[in-house]
Amino acid sequence: MSLYRWGGFSNTKEFVGFDNFITLWNDVDFIQSFQNSILLIVVVAIFTLLIAVFFAAVLTKETIPGGNFFRVIFYVPNILSIVVIAGVFSAIYDPSSGLLNSIFGTLSLENFQQMWLGDQDIIIYSVAGALVWQAIGYYMVMYMSSMASIPPSFYEAASLEGASKWKQFTNITLPLIWNTIRTTLTFYIISTINLSFLLVKAMTGGGPDGSTEVFLSYMYDQAYGNSTYGYGMAIGVVVFIFSFALAAIVNHITKRDVLEY
Amino acid sequence: MNVKKLLFALSVLFLTIGLVACSDSKSSEGKETNEETNEETNEETNEETNEEGNEEEGTTLHVAALESAYGADMWEKIADSYETTNENVKIELTIKKNLEEVIRPNMQAGEYPDVVLLATGRPEALTETLMKENGLENITDIFDQKVSGEDSTVNEKILDGFTDTLATNPYADGETYLAPMFYSPTGLFYNAGLFEEKGWDVPKTWDEMWELGDKASEEGIALFTYPTTGYFDTFIGSMLYALGGPDFFNSAMTYEDGIWESDKSTEVFETIEKLASYTEKNTVANANPNDFTKNQQLVLDNKALFMPNGNWVVDEMKEAPRADNFEWGMTSIPAFEDGGDRYAFTFFEQIWVPSAAENKVDAKDFITYMYSDEASSIFLEAGAVQPIEGITDQLDGQKQIFYGIYDDEDVLPAMGTFASTEPVAGVNMGDTLYGTIGSVISGKITIEEWRASVEEASDKLREAMN
Amino acid sequence: MSKSNGPRTEVLFKLFIYVALITLAIFIIVPVGWVFLASIKENAEFYGSPWAMPVGFHFENFIEAFNEAQMGEYLLNSIVVTVFALLILLVVALPAAYVLSRFKFRGNGFINSFVKAGLFINVSYIAVPIFLMLLDWNTVMNTIFGEGLLLNNRLVLAFIYAATALPFTIFLLSSYFETLPSDFEEAASIDGAGYYRTMFSVMLPMAIPSIVIVILFNFLLFWNEYILALTLMPGENQTLPVGLLNLMAAERSAVNYGPMYAGMVIVMLPTLILYIFVQKRLTQGMTVGGLKG
Repeated sequence: MSLYRWGGFSNTKEFVGFDNFITLWNDVDFIQSFQNSILLIVVVAIFTLLIAVFFAAVLTKETIPGGNFFRVIFYVPNILSIVVIAGVFSAIYDPSSGLLNSIFGTLSLENFQQMWLGDQDIIIYSVAGALVWQAIGYYMVMYMSSMASIPPSFYEAASLEGASKWKQFTNITLPLIWNTIRTTLTFYIISTINLSFLLVKAMTGGGPDGSTEVFLSYMYDQAYGNSTYGYGMAIGVVVFIFSFALAAIVNHITKRDVLEY
Repeated sequence: MNVKKLLFALSVLFLTIGLVACSDSKSSEGKETNEETNEETNEETNEETNEEGNEEEGTTLHVAALESAYGADMWEKIADSYETTNENVKIELTIKKNLEEVIRPNMQAGEYPDVVLLATGRPEALTETLMKENGLENITDIFDQKVSGEDSTVNEKILDGFTDTLATNPYADGETYLAPMFYSPTGLFYNAGLFEEKGWDVPKTWDEMWELGDKASEEGIALFTYPTTGYFDTFIGSMLYALGGPDFFNSAMTYEDGIWESDKSTEVFETIEKLASYTEKNTVANANPNDFTKNQQLVLDNKALFMPNGNWVVDEMKEAPRADNFEWGMTSIPAFEDGGDRYAFTFFEQIWVPSAAENKVDAKDFITYMYSDEASSIFLEAGAVQPIEGITDQLDGQKQIFYGIYDDEDVLPAMGTFASTEPVAGVNMGDTLYGTIGSVISGKITIEEWRASVEEASDKLREAMN
Repeated sequence: MSKSNGPRTEVLFKLFIYVALITLAIFIIVPVGWVFLASIKENAEFYGSPWAMPVGFHFENFIEAFNEAQMGEYLLNSIVVTVFALLILLVVALPAAYVLSRFKFRGNGFINSFVKAGLFINVSYIAVPIFLMLLDWNTVMNTIFGEGLLLNNRLVLAFIYAATALPFTIFLLSSYFETLPSDFEEAASIDGAGYYRTMFSVMLPMAIPSIVIVILFNFLLFWNEYILALTLMPGENQTLPVGLLNLMAAERSAVNYGPMYAGMVIVMLPTLILYIFVQKRLTQGMTVGGLKG
């Protein structure tokens, strides 16, 4: 499809070779959506990874009263539908009555008050914030299950030798869940691409002026909104190749010998 | 090997189970499902199907319509009453809020509805796509036909001016492909109660507008807000009309060379730039599909004076709290000079026949029926107003104020949209012209840059004109 | 000195953990609480400050949501589709993942990367092609059997759900199997167990945490899926998320916020309950296996 000029319905499909891809190369709007997507992938992956690993470690290895409570609570955002998340975050980011600005207001930190969804430099991070918020639980559960399979004897041995918690974490936990982390890195790429589209569609509509446009929302705009189905499919192909390549690269540079217990 | 065999055996097993189970479920549920009529399909039709089967002669007309604020019930009534007068025609309705998602796959599979009510300007742009692909049936002839079941022709009933716009004749060649249905006047909405209280006059020119803006800002009220940038379509359209009348508007809509760099268009850009400085500060942050009601709420709360909108906003905000003495008012977009023409855009939904439809003759007859007294009263009951002679007299109270906006001596109706072109990858006039306003208001780009990008988009689209 | 230092860092560490846990919990409870509060608000309240407390319990929202979205009717469909899809998925994915991660055979690498490529396919790309394919098959079946069975069929939908979730599941499971010690299998094969027995009696019990995850995540996925459901079930047998669309905003009319949030709360409850039940299982994996050293 990506090699045709086609609106989506008629029989007037016209073969145009790689023209769609050439147009794409010069399309500033696409480049903007490309940058936004990459930014989101990087930011969301790093923050979610750090937070999720930390809490997973805490909740599996430490005996904490109410641990079950925290486990349940942390997972809840993940089962909320994107429409609800958009609603929640619009209540948080609202410029006048929103939670963030109110908190900064009561703490007399007026300088921190922002147009979270109005300022084109900030909004993409606001979107990232919502994505991280909803993703933590998901990955935390994944890391938790992986950590749970580490035989407790390893830790017993380590603490007998007097290794600190941090040492135990870096020397035992991390290497043993490394394979899971690598797997999830691929998931970060995929799910950020997909979810950012849904969230952007519900929350910002890609605005203001395309500043939160991401891969798939731009593809959708072009394939349907602009009646250039072939072009939309060309974007789809590029996104597919890009995400696959990115995952392969990430996978390659994080490759370590798989450790078995 | 064992595992592989097992896998294979299991999948075969499952497929078998699946197929057996589905034939089971089908035969036992077949009846039930037919009786459990989908809300959207007309009940009577289905009962008929059950009793008489499909052998009966006559045609089945597939009607697909967007379920908008007016609800789905009115379509069922329409189908009923059409079937009573046309006994050999059965109507099958598809009324959905997300109509595009439902009918698009079927259309791609070659199963087209016969009649579709779906306006232009929707995010999925299904109607525009068919326009661009020449997928619409030419329906120019129905306007000389008699309205189904009546003696007058369609043309005699439809209000003047509604069938010679780019929204009905997308190729600007005098041929009509879309018939106008429910219409809504748009303009600037405000709190009439507040204006009375303060003793302010509703501005008729932009100069008066700025004066009022300064007065209001002393009282802490912003002059202007907008729901989302998409609402600028009618706003800018009215400005173009006000600057140079229909001719100027049409040349802009048909991408005439250099039109956006002309002096007149420059006035549009400059006015919006100035308006930007009078815009309520939170507007841009809330101008998205999730929060746009917050911008509309600003007018209800007396935090902003005007917003561009259509009369649907009254229903949209009917449950919202509001300032004391609040009363909706609507005015046209101001004129550029004293005594100049003022315009208020009319937005309307369109009904059309896909050229791949099976029953075009019946489909056209069904469209003429839309303009019958019977049909229009059913629609009117649900709140949907069609452009039919004398219909404004049947409206009550507030509605009459909005629909009667053109009774004001120097307010003229404006209609139309961008001409249809072959699709051009990566170029979207709406985004370029309206979407950029967010950046203009936040000061991200200058109007010169904006104007240049609009002209560039216009250049590209001109080449693709049919 | 060093003696007193130990406990103190211990205390500080605990404190730090608690602060972090509670902060994140607050960050989550407040917005989620907001959703629950929103579901009992009256429509008019949605136009004011979003953080105002609800005026009263507007429980009618739930009733309205239930009726409007035809939840009673669609609930069964959703359950049938989700359960069948999970069953099919597990039956296919578990052996496949096991084989892919443990056995080296010709084409192993190819299949692996094929599965991985499948991960990047988004359901929304393929909904329409699947629909067209089924429609074609339906026509063929029509001529042979006299009726087409493939559309509006819950089992077909479940089957397709399972198919779309396969890459994800296989990828996740096989990366998990890779980390499991091969000692067990060696032991099992010395004891004379075949591959089949090894898989069911040795590997699967150890893989419980990841199987739980697979069930949990895919349940969530199937339960909330609506693009395929909408496309492949044009007539009856709709699922819950499709019913929910009835609660969403109609063009240019007042949004029925209260019932909308109420509906979402209703739909999300089963997932939450499932999670509460299985979450303990998640961290129980190795206690079943029991391998020392």
